Order: sequence, then C-alpha cells, then structure tokens
Amino acid sequence: MSAETTAEVQTPVLAVHDLRKKFAETTALDGVSFEVRPHEVVGLIGENGAGKSTLLKMLIGLAQPDSGHIELRGTRVKMRGISQAGAAGIGMVFQEQSLIPNLTVAENILFGAEGGAVVGGLYRWKELRRRAQVQLDKIGSKIDVDGLTEELSFADRQLVEIAKVLATEERTNAEPVVLLDEPTSVLDRDETELLFTQIERLRTRASVVFVSHRLDEVLRVSDRVYVLRNGQTVAECVPGDVDEASLRRMMIGRDMEGSHYGEEDQLPIREEVRLSVRGLSVKGVCDDVDFDVHVGEILGIAGVQGSGREELCRGIFGALATRGTMTLDGEQITPRSPRDAIGSDIGFVPAERRREGMVGTMSVAENITLPHIGDVCAGPVLLKGKERQLADEWIERLRIRTPSGSAPLGSLSGGNQQKAVLARWMVSDSLKLLILDHPTRGLDVGAKSEVYRLIRELTASGVSILLMADSLEELIAMSHRVLVMKDGRVTDVIDAPAGAKPAPVTVLERMI
Amino acid sequence: MSISDKTGTFAQLRATSRLSQSARRQLLLTVMPIVVLAGLVAAIAVANPNFLRPASIWTALDSAVPLMILASGAMLVILCGGIDLSVAALASMASVLVALWIPAMDGWAVVLVVLVCALAGLLQGVIHIVAQIPSFLVTLGGLAVWSGVALVASGAATVGVSGDTLAWTFTRLTDWRIPSAVLIAAGLVAVFALVLQLTPVRRWLISIGSSESAALMAGVPVASTKIAAFAVSGACAGFAGVMLVGRTFSGAPTLADSLLLPVVAAIVVGGTAITGGFGGIGRTVIGVLIITVLRVGLSVAGVDSSYEQIFYGVLVIAAVALTIDRSKLLFVK
Repeated sequence: MSAETTAEVQTPVLAVHDLRKKFAETTALDGVSFEVRPHEVVGLIGENGAGKSTLLKMLIGLAQPDSGHIELRGTRVKMRGISQAGAAGIGMVFQEQSLIPNLTVAENILFGAEGGAVVGGLYRWKELRRRAQVQLDKIGSKIDVDGLTEELSFADRQLVEIAKVLATEERTNAEPVVLLDEPTSVLDRDETELLFTQIERLRTRASVVFVSHRLDEVLRVSDRVYVLRNGQTVAECVPGDVDEASLRRMMIGRDMEGSHYGEEDQLPIREEVRLSVRGLSVKGVCDDVDFDVHVGEILGIAGVQGSGREELCRGIFGALATRGTMTLDGEQITPRSPRDAIGSDIGFVPAERRREGMVGTMSVAENITLPHIGDVCAGPVLLKGKERQLADEWIERLRIRTPSGSAPLGSLSGGNQQKAVLARWMVSDSLKLLILDHPTRGLDVGAKSEVYRLIRELTASGVSILLMADSLEELIAMSHRVLVMKDGRVTDVIDAPAGAKPAPVTVLERMI
Repeated sequence: MSISDKTGTFAQLRATSRLSQSARRQLLLTVMPIVVLAGLVAAIAVANPNFLRPASIWTALDSAVPLMILASGAMLVILCGGIDLSVAALASMASVLVALWIPAMDGWAVVLVVLVCALAGLLQGVIHIVAQIPSFLVTLGGLAVWSGVALVASGAATVGVSGDTLAWTFTRLTDWRIPSAVLIAAGLVAVFALVLQLTPVRRWLISIGSSESAALMAGVPVASTKIAAFAVSGACAGFAGVMLVGRTFSGAPTLADSLLLPVVAAIVVGGTAITGGFGGIGRTVIGVLIITVLRVGLSVAGVDSSYEQIFYGVLVIAAVALTIDRSKLLFVK
C-alpha cells in the first residue's frame, strides 16, 4: 500500500464527533460519532427515533448540534443551511425528493448553483444544458436535460437529485459526500438494482452515506455499517462479519419475541362470508371488482401504484363514490361517507397517519373515542369519566406508552400513535371489517411486530381484515389469501395458508 | 473537566429549562390574553379611577354586547378552520329587516329575522361545502350580497323604529341597574359553553379545524358540523343586529359594518387560533373584554374614535403574528 493511500485512509472525508442534541424533553442525539473515508459507502441503520434523521439534518445544516462537531476533510465546519453544506460538498438525496416539478431537469440540477450559466439574471440555456449534461454523464444517465421534472418517474427524479449533488464537485474541487436517505423505499425491484449499480459508479468519484431500514440492502452496498440506537452509535461493523439477525438485534437492543409476523397464529379461514363485493367500480381507477372476505380472514390486496387497490378500499369505506353492490353479513350496504361505513361497523386505518389517521393536537383519549363517540355519550351529553375509563383500559391493553390519556397524540412516538389509531376501532365490540392501508408504514421493527400481533388478535375475535402492506413479504406472511390487482381489475386470488406461503414472485407476476 | 464537557452540560441545562414549543405556545395563548386584559384595566383605573365604579363597568359591558354575540358565532366557524367575514354585514341587514317588519309583526319580527339570518349563514355553509369554495371567499361574497339586500330593502336610508317592542334589549334591571343586554349575552355565552363542554360538538369542531381529512376518516359529520357552524354564526349575527336596533331605535344598512374587524380581533386576541383547531368560548369572552376595555381606554386617553379601526387592524396582525402555529403551515398564502 503506497504512502498516499494510507494518508487518505487516515483523513476521513467526513468525521462526526460526539454530536448531542436535545429537543425539549426528548434526547434526539446522545453522542453520535462516525466517519466516512474517501470512496467509501457507509451504511447507517437504526430504528425510528434512533436519531438518523436528526443526524442527517445536522450534516446538511438544517439543525445545529448542542455539542460535538463535524469535520470535513480535516477541518471543523459549522453548517448553517443546505446551500452552505452544498458549497462545502455535502449533498442529500431526500426521501421525499426536493426537486421543483415544473422546472426542467437542467434547471433543477444547477438550481442555486447556476454560476456562469446565469448572466445578468438571465439563463444562458446552452451553457446550463451543457453543465447539466456533464453531471448526468457522470452517472451515465440518458435523461433528457430539457424534460420537465414532473414528467419523470420517481426513480429518474432520484437520479436527477444525485446529479444535483454531484454538481457541487466543480465548485469545491473536491469529491462530494452524497447522503442517501431511505433511497429505495419507493422503488420497485428493478429500480433498486439500478440504484445499486449507480452507487457502485458513484463511489469512484464520491463518498456515500446510505441510510435505510432494509437491512439486506445495507449489508449489500456498504463497506462499513454504523448502528444507531437511542441517539448513540452503538456498533460499527463490516458486512462480512454480521448477518441481518445480528444487525436487527443491535438495532433494537434485544431479541425479537416469537416470529415477526405471528404466522403460527394464523387460523384456518372460516366458512361464513363477512363482506361480499360484486361489480364494484370507482370511476376512472377500478372496474368491476368481485371478491369475498370471510369472517376472521385477512385478505391481502397486492398491486403496484395505480392498480386501484387504494381507491377500492376507500370506496368500500365510503370515502370515494362507487358503483356495484356490497353485502356485509348478508345485508346490502351502500356507504356514502366514512360515517355511514362506520355505522355499518367498518373501520379504516389510513396510510398517512399524521394527515388522515389521527388528530395530533387532540389527546390520546379523544382520538380513541372519536369514531364511536356515541358509545361514551348519554343522549347528547358526553360522559368524560366513562371516556377516560375506556381510554385507560385500551392504553393498558395495547401497552400504549403515553404519560396519560390526556397527552396530545401527536407527542407520542409513531408506533404508539399507530396503536392508538388501532384502538379507536378495537373499542367497538361490533367491529366487523377493518381496512388497513399500510398499517406499519414508518414504524420500527419492534412496533411493527406489535401491530402484527394486534391484527392477529383481531382476526381471532372474528374481525375480517382488508390489508395493504408495505412489502410483498409482509403482505403474504400476514394474509390468508392475496387478491392481486392490476390496472383497476382483479387478476388473481392466491391462497396463502400458514406453512405454505406462496413465493413473492408468484404474486409479483400477476401484479405487472 | 474538559471544555467540551462543560459546553455539553450547559447546553443540556438550557434544553431542560426550555418548554416544548407547543406547550409554550398554548401557555402563551392562555395566559397572555388574561394578562393583557388585567394590564389594560389597571392602566385605565390609574388614569381614571371612576372606571372601576359599578355604573361604568355595567356601561362598558353593555357596550360589549353586540360584539360578544357576533364573536360567539363567528368563533365557531374559525374553530373549524374557516372564517365568516359576512357577520357584520348580516347584522346590518338584520337591523334593517327588523326595523321594517316590527310595525307589521311586532315581536315575531325578531324571531323571523334571526331565522332569516340563520338561513343566510346556512346557505353560505352549503355553498362552501358543496361547491368547495374557500369560506373566506363565500362569506366575502356574502358580505356584499347582504349589504346590497340591506341597501335595497331600506332604500339606502335609516329605518326608524317606534314603540317598545325591543325595549327588553336595552333596559336596566333590579336595584343594581344591571343592563338587560348583559344578562342576555351572558345567557347566550352560557348556552355556548354548555353545548361545547357537554356534547361532542367541540370535538368535532376541533378535529375539523386541526385536520379535516382525519376528521372525515374518523367518521366526524364534517359537512353538517361546518354548515351548522355557519348557520349559528348567521343566527348570532341576526340577533346582534336586533340588539343594535334596540339601542339606536333604528335600523340602517351600514349600522354594524364597522364591527367586522373588532369581531375578528376579539376572537384572535382571546387566543383562538385563526388556523382553526384551538380555542373556545371562554377565550372569546376574554377577547371581547380586551377590545371593549381598549375602546374605553382610548377614549379615556382622549384618542379620537376615528383612530379605533387603526388599532384593531394592528391588533389583529400583531395577535396572529404572536400566536400562529407556523409549524402547521407549509406556505403562507
């Protein structure tokens, strides 16, 4: 090994020393240290709330540490904002993407860093295109620089973001650090493969920090992996030496109880049909759908985006207008609003918990009783004592971690919020059908298993479930049968009995 | 101990003494209005000790009644995330209609006018819901329409009222000479407080104001709650118009128009969030008292009443600037 490369290994491109940060009562970071060496891909994993996002925010100047410091190529730096971080050569590819949809690809790549491509406040389009093309060439992308960003696929927009980060190279005359925040969360399998090829290419001219909750991916692409837990770096490992199980253990700090999806609790399907859907259509998105759900059955619905499965479920819950017939326990129902559907003992857990699933400013108890508020009323009068008792009972039963039933639901962690959202439907003894739209989205491993356990408990008591899940693996493991949808129509119904689960690829084949 | 250790401890100390941002905001919204009210009363009492005599207190409260009634109704709409800009215009229209109808219908004119105004509010609510038009626009249009109706019905002139049909709205009762209007307003506030405290209505209003889609998916009767809020706001406006006629013995097409800004100011200064989802009747009472005491204070200080509107305008902007929860807004439009 030459003297030069040894020196390189010794001076990391990016080093973080003992970062600490407190937000009011919660400690977000409690001593995080790690380093990224030149041309290295560093994996960063941790449960929700482990401090990953706070750490990333600090690296691009969106948050300031209470103590500790960040070193970039050997010098201490203080980031005061994204543009300053960009000028220093750190760029982030955001999970939710940060491109401006109605600008062209070239404009986005050089946004805020136009330099010589803007003269006297006017674009020099030719120069702008040329410079943008240089960035896209670096990653070997064929995306048209004049195309409108909103017309690109999600995966292509992600490449544009990477090109945008690489554009800092020319200004700093140094190789940039690219932060990838959960980059694969919305990509399909092929797109993910492409991204990995891209990361391999990227490492020849940059250092990469790869943040993901998919442990297999982290193990595959990273040279080294840091594990964050409770705001601390608890381990540094090399992928060859560890496997997924040991990483998961380091992440949650204990062994998982039982199997993740509780497959052993999957009971055989009962005879009685709970919900029977015939010829159901939602205008423009799904057409002539037929299916049955049995009592105590979990019916998984698989489909890519645009398959119409979300709209179908919203239609059943009365949140979208439908045509066709629905029969619940032998009686025909026509829910015109969620309120109607709730009156027929149907519940719905939306995917976007913060926006649709709960009212964050209202208390845990108020959120739990909101859909069935009539149950804690005598005539028009709300019985607050009865409400508190009911809420406390469910907080206890579901082990919701909250200071009290009167704490605002928004102040709880994601997993506990989701348990409260489930509780609001579980309080009703007469619940017949619960529609779960990505019930574990954004939850950490521990909270996920608890949600799976609750779903199993519900089915044991005879509630039927319509499930849309984050991954095919989760969907197949949880479901009795999987309804596959494509372009608004049912393409297949696949049995998934316990112990004889179909391979994801059998379902995938019918989806696309 | 190394330097970094020390800075660490210091930063931690500072962090623990800090309240969470939402808790601090709530405290500000609850404590500030009361502090401001007490401060204003104390300042006026120092400048003019007569202000604390029962007679002047009753007079001040009496003058607050139309504002109180208007603000109670409008607060419901703000609580569920909308705004009703038509209340003052509706009150003016009510004053004209009641003055025109009393000769023929006597006391029934009051009932009819309140009903008509409730219907006007209901109509605005239905248009807002069915056509999906922002409430500020529907009620801004409504403001113009009701003003126009008042102008046409009155022939653009003041309509006098004779007789004592409305005497009950403007008289003094018992040995303490309590204004009847104050008792009426207190009764109305009590009804609001009871309904909001004892029934699920407040839950519905607040959930709609905080997150309408979440309220919808939880089975809250979103459309009917909002329409009802607009209808109650309209009815309150109508009733406030009647109360105004009682004290001026006439209805006029612009009688209550200058009350719009004080109404919004009172609601916001009292601590109800202009973005919805937080607030209540108690806060609105405090807000109305602040505006009223401020008006008395300005006249005690010898400020010409034409300056009042300037104060209200500044007050609304300042109160919103101090209290708005910017974390909920993506962009300010």
